[in-house]
Amino acid sequence: MTSVIALEDVWLKLGATPVLSGLSLTLEPGEVLALLGPSGAGKTTVVRLILGFIAPERGSVRLNGAVASADGRVLQLPEERNLAVVLQELALWPHLTVAGNLAFGLEARGMPRAVREARIADMTRRVGLAGKEDRRPAHLSGGERQRVAIARALVLDPQAVLFDEPLTNLDVSLKRELLALVHGLLKERGVSALYVTHEPREAVYVGDRIAVVGDGRVVQTGTLDVIRASPANEFVRRLLNDLDWSGVAAT
Amino acid sequence: MGWALTSRTQQRLLVELAVLVLLGTGFLPLVLAALELPLAGAQGLAHARAALAAPATWALLVRSLVLAASVTGLALALGVPLAALLAKTDVRGRQAAFLVHAFPMFLPPFLLALGWFHLLGRGGILGTEASSRLLFSFAGVVLVLALAFTPVVTSLVALALRGIDPSFEEAARIVAGPRRVVTRILLPLAWPAAALAALVVFALAFSELGVPMFLRVRLYPAAVFARLGGVEYAPGEAFGLAVPLLGVALGLLGFERSLAARRSFPVLGLRQRVTIPLPLGAWRGPAGGIVWVLAVLSGLPVAGLVLKASAGGFAGVPAWIGASLTNSIVSAGVAATIIAALGLVVGHGLARGRAGSRLLDAAGVLAFVTPAAVLGVGLISLWNRPATQVVYGSLAIIVIGDVARYGVVGVRTIAAAVAQGPVEHEQVAAVAGAGFARRLFRIVVPIHRRGLAGAWLLALVFCLRDLETAVLFYPPGREPLPVRIFTLEANGPESVVAALAVVQVALTATIVAAGAALLRRAQRP
Repeated sequence: MTSVIALEDVWLKLGATPVLSGLSLTLEPGEVLALLGPSGAGKTTVVRLILGFIAPERGSVRLNGAVASADGRVLQLPEERNLAVVLQELALWPHLTVAGNLAFGLEARGMPRAVREARIADMTRRVGLAGKEDRRPAHLSGGERQRVAIARALVLDPQAVLFDEPLTNLDVSLKRELLALVHGLLKERGVSALYVTHEPREAVYVGDRIAVVGDGRVVQTGTLDVIRASPANEFVRRLLNDLDWSGVAAT
Repeated sequence: MGWALTSRTQQRLLVELAVLVLLGTGFLPLVLAALELPLAGAQGLAHARAALAAPATWALLVRSLVLAASVTGLALALGVPLAALLAKTDVRGRQAAFLVHAFPMFLPPFLLALGWFHLLGRGGILGTEASSRLLFSFAGVVLVLALAFTPVVTSLVALALRGIDPSFEEAARIVAGPRRVVTRILLPLAWPAAALAALVVFALAFSELGVPMFLRVRLYPAAVFARLGGVEYAPGEAFGLAVPLLGVALGLLGFERSLAARRSFPVLGLRQRVTIPLPLGAWRGPAGGIVWVLAVLSGLPVAGLVLKASAGGFAGVPAWIGASLTNSIVSAGVAATIIAALGLVVGHGLARGRAGSRLLDAAGVLAFVTPAAVLGVGLISLWNRPATQVVYGSLAIIVIGDVARYGVVGVRTIAAAVAQGPVEHEQVAAVAGAGFARRLFRIVVPIHRRGLAGAWLLALVFCLRDLETAVLFYPPGREPLPVRIFTLEANGPESVVAALAVVQVALTATIVAAGAALLRRAQRP
């Protein structure tokens, strides 16, 4: 089966600093892949490469088998990739209401109004924002804004959703609540997703597989059990040692 | 703009339209001005060679450069400390002082010279033989222009000082007194703004026609203007004389690119941070005195105009103003709208690092720093043809001149506004499937609407205060108000001319007040 996203031997420098050094990974249909690594490992760069905001100097980014970026060139623009993203900054459009934020991408795709409104109503209900469709982001709580960002990505029914550390800086209970929401939504819709995080607990909870990134490449990929049973090196071992295993079991 | 077009096509069409406007109005006339010389024929070349070979030509050029440098030096010497006092200290009444000080920069400097004349000229309220002699001299031009342009330095440096991360200042205040914090931390951080201000003041002073002509001081740009419209007009001579001005403009552009370009435009931002003013202690009183003296000095010529106009001048306004007020408002309004639209496309590209935007910005800067006389030579050469008289004989030529000269005002203002907003809003819109035009009009425009409105108002003020560009080629009966005042000054009744100047002041004050209200709303959390 063709991978939804495939990065093949990607190399990239920012200035003189190597950021990615031969990174490869694949995201399979319906799968949630957690990209786990410490700050500065190049995780956000991977997201920007997949979205088409930057191009790899060497190597390629394929979407459903077609080359989207390769060897210094973006061949498919971000708006042509049928992806969605939830950023750490959320980037909710401040001048649009909740419904406006959700409608924007659907309008851009030329969806008829009736279908659009039905889909928005369904999604706002699903994420617990029913009745708040006419509010602007400034009039929502932190948790509600997170829900809008998640709903805005999923309402598009994209071929894959990219989450770039979306729950960083949230308190534990809100993070747990939103993780459950994200996990539930992805599984019930069968959407492929790449979930970028530096927190092992989040990666373990949300990911079907985990790809550990270090020094600009994927050090090890596998299920939690595989990685836990035989970590590829000391770096992976130390990263997973940070986990509170009883906590993981509890979630 | 059809949404069915691909994103790349939308971007290409909008950018190409902006290129067409920016290069067509400003850059192409400059190229033509440079090319006119070789195309002027043997006789034209001979005239140009004679003009350029004359030692008097170069002496005049040096005199103009010295004047511009003196004005710049004086404006920096006054403006930088004043900016520090107004932006960073607890000096009394600093907001009111800033308003009084800054307002005259939105007026044509010629109007301020006229105000000084009514105060210090031979028949002026405070005038003596000595004050009149000083006013009508090289030093007089330097002083009038320095006082007119000091607010440019004050405003840009004050904005930069207020935009500095408060943590730098707070960290310094723990270990040093206010004077050291200002001189060792804040001012060095604000130097790109001072460099940009120096460039703008030098370009404006070097380009100035109205003040030296009114005060009867012979300078180079005025000589080019005189040769263009003079009875002894010799083909090629004016073009020849324009060449050194073009050289100076390229030098200014080089300075701007090397020193100021990368770091200067964010200082024009709309956001400011709140810090506690530095306490001046025992110096608060004397510092306040200095600030208010400078503020009042800046505003004094306006008072001179009002006093003169009060002597029966306002009654004559309806008879003398003609269509000039309408011409001003219509041409400046249309030009400001084009400039804002241009600024949206190019300024957005500049803020987001789009390929080619810096080149377009450079073309805009070149048209701004080039003395209006050169731009005028090019515009006349491009549009004064039988086939284009519909443009050359109407307000359209004034609009073209304004867009050419002040296009960069829109580009830089909008670039500053966009650069201070997060790029993620646009990135998420792109990922959601929105093409370039949809992102521009549905995301960038609404989010930065106040920055856009600010750019429009600033462009409007620049176009309304323009004298240098329009005076070269205004069609008969189509002159804007500053040109009307300038042409009436020699023969019109003095009090009526002063009253017309007060009309210009009132019009500008209304627009500046609207802009100030807009900025206040933008800064409200």
